[in-house]
Amino acid sequence: MCGIAGRILAGTGSVGHDLVELMDAQEHRGADSTGFAIYGPPRDTGYVVRGMGFDRKDMESAMEDLLHCLRDHGSDLLGEPDIIADRQRHYCFRIEISDPDNMAAWVADADTLTDRIEVQSCGRSLEIIKDIGGAKTVADKHGVRDLVGTHGLGHARLATESDVRPNASHPFWARPFPDVAIVHNGQITDYFTWRDRLERQGYRFLTGNDSELIAVWVSDRMKAGLTMGQALKLSIGSIDGVFTYMIANADGIGFAKDRFAMKPLVAIDQKGELAMATEEQAVRRIFVGECDVINYDGPSLTGLWGVGNRAMAA
Amino acid sequence: MNEYVVDVGQRHIREINEEIQEACARGDRIRVVNTLSRHNLGIGLPDGAEIQFEGSVGYYCGGLNTGATLEIERNAGWALGEGMAKGTITVGGYSGMSCGAAMIGGTIHVKGDAGPRCGVAMKGGNIVVEGRIGYQSGFMAHSGKIIALGGAGDSCADALWEGEVWVASDVDSLGVDVKVVEPTAEQVEEVNAILEPLGLADSSRDWRKMVSGQRLWFFESRDAGAWLMI
Repeated sequence: MCGIAGRILAGTGSVGHDLVELMDAQEHRGADSTGFAIYGPPRDTGYVVRGMGFDRKDMESAMEDLLHCLRDHGSDLLGEPDIIADRQRHYCFRIEISDPDNMAAWVADADTLTDRIEVQSCGRSLEIIKDIGGAKTVADKHGVRDLVGTHGLGHARLATESDVRPNASHPFWARPFPDVAIVHNGQITDYFTWRDRLERQGYRFLTGNDSELIAVWVSDRMKAGLTMGQALKLSIGSIDGVFTYMIANADGIGFAKDRFAMKPLVAIDQKGELAMATEEQAVRRIFVGECDVINYDGPSLTGLWGVGNRAMAA
Repeated sequence: MNEYVVDVGQRHIREINEEIQEACARGDRIRVVNTLSRHNLGIGLPDGAEIQFEGSVGYYCGGLNTGATLEIERNAGWALGEGMAKGTITVGGYSGMSCGAAMIGGTIHVKGDAGPRCGVAMKGGNIVVEGRIGYQSGFMAHSGKIIALGGAGDSCADALWEGEVWVASDVDSLGVDVKVVEPTAEQVEEVNAILEPLGLADSSRDWRKMVSGQRLWFFESRDAGAWLMI
């Protein structure tokens, strides 16, 4: 039982603040860890990278190695790294970088360091912030309320399939596709089989978490030529298990629900401003007055919500 | 009878429910405001209590009801009236997934539509839905009646025990092991007697009464393939 949420604004605004509210309202669904995927104002060039290192004592040398790897691929830091650390052993970082020559090749190289340091999101706009603890704990530590953007996702995790580790929490980045992130409520039962197939195509998975599969699975289908809408529909008959998941990219957010309708999803849509969540009482934190709530209670449902006037190809 | 107002907001649910129970004990009529779709409102209400909820409520509202009359102005979340034994719950709008789950008595009246698995595993009582009932409604209902005036979604009346699903309009598809039977005049009268106090009785309806085909009652693992729906 996890809790998921999404938020879309008509223009750039306090999406971080709203997602913290949405996740705080659903903290009872899982407080092992909380995470956010925030889509800030997009850059024309360069990427913002978020990630995590596993031992503070090793921080300087791990960051140095990551930087070397970056330079090997024709990219460099744009400004000083931000480091977020407390008494816990792991630390989180945020860097802005110039365009590497080849994104997938750089990510593959950076992934040789994942026993020490891990890239967890990369995009012109996307930033994934995730850590152990409830919504307020993670928000206070990482300043999530101050993050502005157009849309984003949130997740409260009750760990079922893998360890309670900060890197095994959601949202998951669709490694190595820039600006794609997912949050998932449920359990995927055939993820081992699917991961094996995707790994043989060269994809990398860094945790034992079943949900990590979904982001890559959908992105791989889109790379093969499907629209997001088509890939979402295909996932319902292809991926086995119970799920309601939301996947976001720079243009908006899509969702899919399993064939047995096991996990909830509701949305409020008011003139292109949306809040989506597992529970209605969470979206009511954003839209306090009585208003029309869309219940996606049925089986095998998919949908797409575009940001602003950016249409999402169905 | 005094009217007592309970303000929900973001207060702790235990505090809210204790306040409701105390008002019930005094014999007050209760109006709950600022409900904000919060969960677990009005659990285990006593016989004879009268309580109104303004706006929409979240999950499990009216669960374990032992005889109270509840009125919800707009929508209800998942598992409305779960495990209730007695009393009446009226929903002005939509009732979410698993409305009346495992209830053993009393009446739930939904004026709008109901979500999937309405009346799942119910063991008694009646659920009356003026709109449509969702996917797999009546799933494994042991006893009691689900009565839908506006139609039913896919996999209707799936894997029933001795519960009955009555639909007065289109049924998208039937679940496993369902038998659609022609109701007798006496059985239609029984249903109309349930609808009468709600002002919904109409003797001209064309009912589809669904009961168990009873094959699944004696499940054999070698027949498992016949029951796989998905």
